[in-house]
Amino acid sequence: MIILAIPLIPVLVSLVALLTPRLQVIRLASTLGGLTALILTMRVAQMVSRHIALTVWPHWIGVDGLSSLILVLQGFVAMTATLYSWGYMKQVAAPHPRREQQFYVNLNLFLASLFMVPIFLQPALTWVAVELTTVLSVFLVGFENTPKALEAAWKYAVITIMGATIAVLGIFLLLWGLSTLHVTIQTWATLKNAAPEMPVALLKLAFVFIFIGFGTKVGIVPMHTWLPDAHSQAPSSVCALLSGIEVSTILYVIMRLWPVFEQIPGDFAQNWALVFGLISVGTAAFLMVQVRDFKRLFAFSTVEQMGILLVALGLGPAGHYAMLYQLLTHAITKSLAFYSAGAVFLATSTLDIASIKGLIRISPLAGFSLLFSGLAIAGAPPFAVFLSEFSIFRASLTSRHILVLALLLAFLTLAFIGILRHLNHMIFGKPTHPRITLPRSVTLALFISWLPVLVFGVYLPASVHHLLALTMLALRR
Amino acid sequence: MDQLMGIHHILVDVNGLVGALFLLSAVVLMTARQAQSVLRLFVRQSILLAISAFVLGWLHHSAELMIVGFITIIAKAILIPQLLTRTLGPDIRSRRELEFIVNTPVSLLIALGITVLSYFFVAPLLMGSGQDILVNLPVGLDVLLIGVYTLAVRREAVPQMLAMMAIDNGAFFAGIAITTSSAIIELAAGLEGVMVVLVAAILTRTLAQHMGTTEVGALTHLKEGESE
Repeated sequence: MIILAIPLIPVLVSLVALLTPRLQVIRLASTLGGLTALILTMRVAQMVSRHIALTVWPHWIGVDGLSSLILVLQGFVAMTATLYSWGYMKQVAAPHPRREQQFYVNLNLFLASLFMVPIFLQPALTWVAVELTTVLSVFLVGFENTPKALEAAWKYAVITIMGATIAVLGIFLLLWGLSTLHVTIQTWATLKNAAPEMPVALLKLAFVFIFIGFGTKVGIVPMHTWLPDAHSQAPSSVCALLSGIEVSTILYVIMRLWPVFEQIPGDFAQNWALVFGLISVGTAAFLMVQVRDFKRLFAFSTVEQMGILLVALGLGPAGHYAMLYQLLTHAITKSLAFYSAGAVFLATSTLDIASIKGLIRISPLAGFSLLFSGLAIAGAPPFAVFLSEFSIFRASLTSRHILVLALLLAFLTLAFIGILRHLNHMIFGKPTHPRITLPRSVTLALFISWLPVLVFGVYLPASVHHLLALTMLALRR
Repeated sequence: MDQLMGIHHILVDVNGLVGALFLLSAVVLMTARQAQSVLRLFVRQSILLAISAFVLGWLHHSAELMIVGFITIIAKAILIPQLLTRTLGPDIRSRRELEFIVNTPVSLLIALGITVLSYFFVAPLLMGSGQDILVNLPVGLDVLLIGVYTLAVRREAVPQMLAMMAIDNGAFFAGIAITTSSAIIELAAGLEGVMVVLVAAILTRTLAQHMGTTEVGALTHLKEGESE
């Protein structure tokens, strides 16, 4: 029952936001909703660690290790994002209280759709939830109503909905495979069990549709064109949700079907993942050197990170643990990076890298946070991403993918240089803007987000390790 | 018994004819210049999808497919055009695309290529399958891919949005033949299709208000390596 409460809470909050015009009440309700969602998702994860899987409604709704990992990450980013929005939106939407109210209605509905993706046991229902995440976040992307934001929202809607429609044909093909084998229950588990009996041609075609379709929403190159636009134009708390957790949530769907596709002979699926993963990492790394907008810098870093995750998936069983670890560290670090970027925007009112200098004196907190979150997402020690990227390198060595390792190292170094070059320009030098103090909720959200990034960089608690190990069960054939 | 077999044969033929018209509608939709005529074509295409669902539902005694047919009619042939007409004023609907990115003969050639390609893709799956799958699967995939192409070359907001919905029609045209469980997805997709069109229509209206144009092909502000 507790599982059903998770998506229900944001729905209730959005109702509150719809019914009362009092912004202080709405902000409080939204923040409390985020906190409750985090507590509930952690409780679910704890229960899953003990019982391996929880079922609410057999063949319809339930969670296992993988879905509970995604839920906890969603809960964490939802909590920090709602808290961050309190002070951030107050400043950004200051003269338009009505728009701020609309923002909270939209934000919470979007959160509800995100929470729905991992709890369904049927691919068809999960697809519906994925479609909902797009439909409900379009107005969040276009919130600013500037020509650029509207352009981003339009591209986001058109390209990702097209992707989801391509993916649905893949799901139909898999269901066809089930029905020819006279399997009437259409869940992830039955698909996994029936896959060896299905014709290879059918699995291949279904894989291509699902990989391209959902891959569009994950931001895999060359279907990534909408991502830097959408993930940079939205308000920062929404960017944190989109980049930190939404893309991983969609990748979750591909991961769910991975044991099915891994059974295609000749490492078909693995090779696709390796090739498209490396192309994504490489393209993003080159573009990160050229960007002029610091939110786009982090958006391209998301494309890069999704590429790394795909490469780890393509390494086969050796890469599974490292991949899940990377999924975790990316979610916590990328949301932090966008909160820092938002703080910089509050301090300077611009996204243009060239017109900011001396950030460390304009707002020491925003400056330090941006510098270190940039270092953290680039994979510098002693932050969390360093350890997870290192375990991916190790996995590629043990699975003897030396070329993959070499390319990955080269691209990551390039991305590292790209990030540092831009941040260096922004942070040091003579300040271009007057000194300001950040809103309290923004400061608090930054501190909370820093905690796991620092802790997981030096130490992985036994409970988290246990959850990751459980998660691997879902990826196994 | 003979009579029943006769009806069965006729229905299979009807489905084949519907498949041909469905494909034709996708090709015409690709080349139509006026937003209003694209909308009309989309409605006809959706009705063809519904007819195919009814025919297959009758052939396989499947109530689910009948439901798919009804949902398609209500969502795509009634609600979506209504919503578009209400949200967008007459001036936006009557906009014409005078210049295509790719000219019509080349587009037709590409559509032909896509058709051959989609038969090639599904050919290994068609062996031993029924008459209905033989029509619906390749035609559905073909319409889906032609829809993707149309989406890529259209520059106006409304035709782009309708191309997006035509892709959806293609996926479901294939879906109704290969799985009867498409009802639950179609129910959701029908509702979401309405939501998508509403969202896209509001976005189009906002675009028109803020930028004075709905030519989405001209939206190229966001890119790398160029100064503002």
